[in-house]
Amino acid sequence: MLAEQHKRIHYGQWMTNVATIVLAALWLVPIVWALVVSLRSPDDSLGPDDVWFGETITTESYEKAVDLAPFFPEWKDGHLTRSYYSNTIQFVVLTLVVQLITVTLAGFAFAHYDFFAKKLFFYFILLQMMIPTAILLVPNFVTIREFSTADFLIPKFIYYHEFNLYDTPWAVAMPYFGSAFGTFLMRQAFLEVPDELVDAGRIDGCRWYQLLWHVYLPPSRPSLVAFGLVSVSFHWNELLWPLVVTSDKARPLTMGLLRFTQLSDIGAQWSLVMAATIIIALPLLGAFLIFQRQFIRSFLHSGVK
Amino acid sequence: MTQLSRRFLPILLILPTLYFVFMFTVRPTYKVLNDSQEYYYPSRPDRVRPTDLQLPGIEEAPRSLRGPHDVGWAYYRALFDPDTREGETFRQVMSNTTQYVLITVPISILLAFVFAVLINRPLRGIGLARMAFFYPTMLPLVSAATIWIFFFTPEYGIWNTALRFFGYHGAENWVINPNLALYSLMIVAIWKNAGYFMIFYLAGLQNLPDDVFEAADLDGANWVQKMVYVTFPLLRRTTLFVSVIAILSAFQNIDHALVMTYELATGEADLLLYEVYQQRFEFRNYGFANTLTVIMILILLTLTFTNFVLSERRGE
Amino acid sequence: MYRKNLLILALLISLIVPAGLVTAQDGEKTVVEIYFPIAVDSPITEILNGYAETFEAAHPDVDVVFSFEGAYGDVKTKLLNTIEGGGDRPALAIMLATDIYDLRNADAIQSWDAYATEDYLADFAPTWMTNSYYDFDGDGEGELYGLPFQRSTVLLYYNQTMLEENGLAAPTTWEELATTAQALTTDSRWGILVPNSWPYWVFQPFAAGAGQNIVSESDVDVYFDEQGIIDALQYWLDLFQVYGATPEGVQNNWGDAPGAFTDGNAAMIVHSTGSLPGILGRAEFEVGVSALPGREGGFYTVTGGGNLYLVEGIDDATAAAAWEFVQWLTMPEQTIDWSIQTGYINTRVSGFELEAWQTYVAENPQAAQAAATIDVAVREFSVQDLGEVRNIFHAEILNVLNGAATPAEAMEAAQTGADEILSIYR
Repeated sequence: MLAEQHKRIHYGQWMTNVATIVLAALWLVPIVWALVVSLRSPDDSLGPDDVWFGETITTESYEKAVDLAPFFPEWKDGHLTRSYYSNTIQFVVLTLVVQLITVTLAGFAFAHYDFFAKKLFFYFILLQMMIPTAILLVPNFVTIREFSTADFLIPKFIYYHEFNLYDTPWAVAMPYFGSAFGTFLMRQAFLEVPDELVDAGRIDGCRWYQLLWHVYLPPSRPSLVAFGLVSVSFHWNELLWPLVVTSDKARPLTMGLLRFTQLSDIGAQWSLVMAATIIIALPLLGAFLIFQRQFIRSFLHSGVK
Repeated sequence: MTQLSRRFLPILLILPTLYFVFMFTVRPTYKVLNDSQEYYYPSRPDRVRPTDLQLPGIEEAPRSLRGPHDVGWAYYRALFDPDTREGETFRQVMSNTTQYVLITVPISILLAFVFAVLINRPLRGIGLARMAFFYPTMLPLVSAATIWIFFFTPEYGIWNTALRFFGYHGAENWVINPNLALYSLMIVAIWKNAGYFMIFYLAGLQNLPDDVFEAADLDGANWVQKMVYVTFPLLRRTTLFVSVIAILSAFQNIDHALVMTYELATGEADLLLYEVYQQRFEFRNYGFANTLTVIMILILLTLTFTNFVLSERRGE
Repeated sequence: MYRKNLLILALLISLIVPAGLVTAQDGEKTVVEIYFPIAVDSPITEILNGYAETFEAAHPDVDVVFSFEGAYGDVKTKLLNTIEGGGDRPALAIMLATDIYDLRNADAIQSWDAYATEDYLADFAPTWMTNSYYDFDGDGEGELYGLPFQRSTVLLYYNQTMLEENGLAAPTTWEELATTAQALTTDSRWGILVPNSWPYWVFQPFAAGAGQNIVSESDVDVYFDEQGIIDALQYWLDLFQVYGATPEGVQNNWGDAPGAFTDGNAAMIVHSTGSLPGILGRAEFEVGVSALPGREGGFYTVTGGGNLYLVEGIDDATAAAAWEFVQWLTMPEQTIDWSIQTGYINTRVSGFELEAWQTYVAENPQAAQAAATIDVAVREFSVQDLGEVRNIFHAEILNVLNGAATPAEAMEAAQTGADEILSIYR
């Protein structure tokens, strides 16, 4: 009886192992195919029974893709040219830096202080989680345009400046400068800092920023990192919003790839498209492969809603 | 520091966040609600004609075809009037979006659960499987779509080859066939999201108490029974939570539609947000795009608010 | 307190915003930026940049900058967004000839009338001008908005070698086209591929071949429910239902057809002239081209491709420089070179007499045959509210191919839908 049960468990385990391997292999097919085909020559078109390795393994497709579209900056006339990579990095970093400041400050205020209408303010900010920014692309596009003069919000005598945000990293980044998710996450992290530590800091005569910097932030660093990773991944991969507010000057990587998919007259050149796909996805995929656990843990936080 | 500034310090600290939430969430919501009561159609000429603008409840009068005209709630009436162009489009788009949500969400959640169960075992090499399931999350949706477009190629695309191997004989050009295009979008979404939802189940599984399983073992339950009758019900909170993020993501993420239905050009596979994009930026029918945005806000607000109330009540 | 918050707000914004302002101004030269629709993989970027350099050498005060913006639809969306968003607008854009109404209505383009003389215009083949005029101001006479540049027609490409091996001649009627395709269909090869993505364009030559174009000169009329159109659609169905010469249903997309043809997986394809150099370069057999045969004989095709538009709201100096460049770019020497290098058809009649062209066609007779199809090209589908009307038409065509409606039902529905939209203009 016991032997039979053992056998059954053994059999069951074997089945689950097979299922795992099969499913994992299936899930890997797209990326493996993309990698394999990107190593074909761009002129080596795919056809029936010929959809994996080509005649040779070559990086020609990558070279051609880089040649055709400004993925990487070049040194020209004494300055770096604009490129998809620098545009993406610019707006991702810009978003991240501002976000880290705003969410830390707001999270700290909500965790450390009691103040007038605190709950109301908190729910106000949480509105952003209820109405995702992505679906507001139409009115937000109008807002970006309205920023060309600031006088719709700030009286002219206080502040006046003519500028244009359209087609700049600012336009892409700005709607994300305040983050309800980040505020919430940091508030949770700060709330878990032991009161004794905070009191000790107070007794030492810390000002609020010293308290934040020396007492609250060090133990909360994992949350900050988690938020940062999620933010970078999200914005690196974003397409729809940049598509609306950028033209050729601030065009990010994802839009660069979009151009590759529209090979109208010439016919599909899959190796070239896949090379471009790999070029834009590699940094994030590579980072994920190296810091797998860290990424997964961070994305687990991203569900905090 | 004076008492006064101490009182206002916390407000100052949250001010940047408040400002951006106001500028990019609250104000636009109000604005779009306002603008949805205006007919403005800049790809039509600024030419005066006697017209009712083809909107219900608007009197015929000499008007500019471009606008802007204040039309009150005419667009909302049009949405639910299948005789109007807007009503017909709305019906199509809502039907597509509903199908898309009702199919992608349960399937990806189920897969997520299965994946989580499969890799929640202390085996060597299991990290590799976890990586295999999760990496699509890190891939831009537009890259995922470009790869899948090839898979959907007729005759030699990998998806079709596989289907044919299992005896499929139907139409093969998934991306440009209006009967199939919506399914092709679903397949990509499921493939991309299952691994993301998996990690929540994984966390849930790891927090489950062992004694439940021991009890089940004593009852002689087999592995599948254990999963169906013990584990899945225990994780219902996770399921509820994952359902909400899955639905939200189904509404928001349409990058794959931009690439995949590009050649379709019939509108028969349009999802709600994609229709908003098209109406506003391609057809330049501003009033209609604004109205659709409002509808979308309402749907998502209802959804997140219900979820919020539910989880508050449970005291989470 | 209110004041204080405002001040802080102002401070915050001033910190954040002005850094977005860095736009390089080229003070001395007049910059002529041109939005260009391009599928990235083509030598077109090099050709165009070469043109820009040649032109700049003769006009040192002008800086010609090509911006490659993706497909035609993207250029249009991008231009309209740039104008609405307050970005730096280009001076010129190459966009679909058929988008003329939308673009003018949206105040995105201005007329060439102040620049183009009759002498200059006389050298354009009249067929190319069928989507260039729009009577926007309502004075009964159309203003000129589109100058032909990147123009193409629909061609029938056939594998001449294969035809000869099977003792067949190039088809000259619908009947012959279908039977030839049927004869060349094998287990591993289709007789003919007609792309189903963006179907109206490849459909128009068939409609014309049945004696009825889907549009007239008018910007508010379509003729979807005419018998000729229904017959042409029935013929498309017959290609797989009766002759089994093409895959059933909605099956062929635009991008895969040339590859299938050059790899020998399709004996004939219907495609743009723009694919000619690519196909000639890759095919290891003799390629034949013609316009599409008509029902009772004769040949028919449709114009396609993009026109040069002058963007609204640019300053006079830029507009003048843009016009200089356009004049240079549309000189027969350039249009012929462009045609030879890209497969798009030369738009200037006098260009065909140039020696460069004569030498080229002596080696590539197909190019001459492709160019000759302009004589039998009809006006491309273009009406007001084009995007919506086209979607309706596309949806109904695909319905028919999917077996969801008969050609007569579908075309009646398409006509009703289109009339509903267009009635607002009538």
